[in-house]
Amino acid sequence: MSFLLRFARRIDSINTAIGHVIMYGVYGLMGILLWSSISKTFFMPTQWTLEMAQFAMVAYYMLGGPYAMLTGANVRMDLFYGNWSLRRKATVDVVTVLFLIFYLGVLLYGALGSTSYSLGYWGTDPIAFFTGLVTGTEEIGRLERSSTAWRPYIWPIKAIMIIGLFLMLLQALSELIKDMARALGHDIAEVKT
Amino acid sequence: MSQEHIALFMFASMMLMLISGQRVFGAIGAVAAIAAIALWGTGGQDIPFSAALKLMKWYPLLTLPMFIFMGYVLSETRLADDLYRMFHVWFGNVNGGLAMGTIGLMVLISAMNGLSVAGMAIGATIALPELLRRGYNKLMVTGVVQAGSSLGILVPPSVVLVLYAMIARQPVGQLWLAGILPGLMMAALFVIYIWIRCRMNPDLGPVATDLDTVTPAEKRRLLGAGILPLAIFASMMVPFVNGWTSLVESSAIGAIAALVASLLKRRMTLAIFHTCTKQTLAISCMFMWIILAALGFGAVFDGLGAVKAIETLFTDQLGLSPWMILILMQLSFILMGTFLDDTAMLVIVAPLYVPLVGALGFDLIWYGVLYTITTQIAYMTPPFGYNLFLMKAMAPPEIGLRDIYRSIIPFVGIMALALAIIMLFPQIALWLPEYVYGK
Repeated sequence: MSFLLRFARRIDSINTAIGHVIMYGVYGLMGILLWSSISKTFFMPTQWTLEMAQFAMVAYYMLGGPYAMLTGANVRMDLFYGNWSLRRKATVDVVTVLFLIFYLGVLLYGALGSTSYSLGYWGTDPIAFFTGLVTGTEEIGRLERSSTAWRPYIWPIKAIMIIGLFLMLLQALSELIKDMARALGHDIAEVKT
Repeated sequence: MSQEHIALFMFASMMLMLISGQRVFGAIGAVAAIAAIALWGTGGQDIPFSAALKLMKWYPLLTLPMFIFMGYVLSETRLADDLYRMFHVWFGNVNGGLAMGTIGLMVLISAMNGLSVAGMAIGATIALPELLRRGYNKLMVTGVVQAGSSLGILVPPSVVLVLYAMIARQPVGQLWLAGILPGLMMAALFVIYIWIRCRMNPDLGPVATDLDTVTPAEKRRLLGAGILPLAIFASMMVPFVNGWTSLVESSAIGAIAALVASLLKRRMTLAIFHTCTKQTLAISCMFMWIILAALGFGAVFDGLGAVKAIETLFTDQLGLSPWMILILMQLSFILMGTFLDDTAMLVIVAPLYVPLVGALGFDLIWYGVLYTITTQIAYMTPPFGYNLFLMKAMAPPEIGLRDIYRSIIPFVGIMALALAIIMLFPQIALWLPEYVYGK
């Protein structure tokens, strides 16, 4: 248990560090949109701002998501949950968080598939493709571009989503470990903002 | 299993997952992922992630962090203190005047942010103690703050309408314009109610006695406080309505305007800045992940064709008219709202109600306004209203949960009245968007 808890704490501190950086992304988003309105009003409208802002937004919530989960920002329906003891909450969570982990796993698998497509792989086994890339049996094919005037490559944002979902999955595991410990009667403090 | 049965089964398992208290996005997302894989095998596994790509391409969602940030700046820096004082001085010498002024304050705050939480925080921490100190009836006062703060989601900018727009595939700009007149109408109804009640029983809202010392010059100076929210609102809406900037760009301008205003008024400290930044991330993530999961759920539901089946059930087998169905839907919605929170409601309404309303031939912009007002009512109705608990957390200790429950009854009645008026006269909602976009 103590080994698992050390692992959980390690994940928590990594995601906290990432969250503390990524939370300033909101100013980056503001800056992009402000530049977009200035250039539109006074100069030529820019082509890249709209999509750049969308990418920034995705990075913002994907990479910030684990930190939000850690600090308990995700709402729960507290019809019954709210009245339970901490230990009871944890016991139920140990079971239901498995569903969350499953969901995140499906998302991550989908992200891998979508990213491999953006790298020019049209097969059905993205994991084989990525391992093939590492071992040298697969090659990067035609890179997918966005269908706008700016035509950026799509794979970087999808790669960010993979990282985000992976961190999210780790955070869910950390929550599972902490809930398990709480259910067994350990006293684990909740991280609050 | 037939489509209706699968749909029903999906809803039942989602409800079960929600009641277990797991994070809402996980509960919904898991049901969607499991259903997708069970129904379509390997083709289904990509559905949850394709929702993420859909989310990325939906431009107006960028307004979300901007408005959340704005709301936090406004409430954390107490930028609205002067505004409250303005209403206080100008309305205080009538019976119930401070309560009416509080409604006015809430309308202005609503015009500067998109959630009801900011209005609630400002109302409960600034207005409520002042009003109680002056001998206002506590039931009246708590009701006023709750009802007033709920205007935040109807008067633009409104986060709830942004989310609705995403699900109903309607333009956000038109939805926002549609919310303005109903919002003002509702505020006017609240004011009329307060006026009548205080007319009948002056003890509910005594005249403020300490205002004689305020000089006319001071009164005029305070009027300046009203310029600030109007300036922030105008900095957003003028470029947008004139077509100089898009909605999203305007929201960033609004967020920057709020930030600049707080700096100019020397209310922004490093600690507050940190809180605002962190809270914006937390709340934005909460919303984004729920929408992500809800979109996945909606996609599975769309794939089932369940909406068509339910529509046929209502119109052909039960023989109900579209209006009957609409009214039944609103009633069931209020009922659900009493025990679900707003995000969970959105998720349930999304795949089922909105397509059904569209299929019945109603205007989805108009329905957006009805939807928002119903959400407001649901927010406030016991036993499980989101606002009720917030109010309890923020209000002074002498106000109990019982008082809060009792205080909202007349205001919920007024909101139901407003709902009925807008159902009967859709033009109240639709006139402004048609006027602006039709020219």
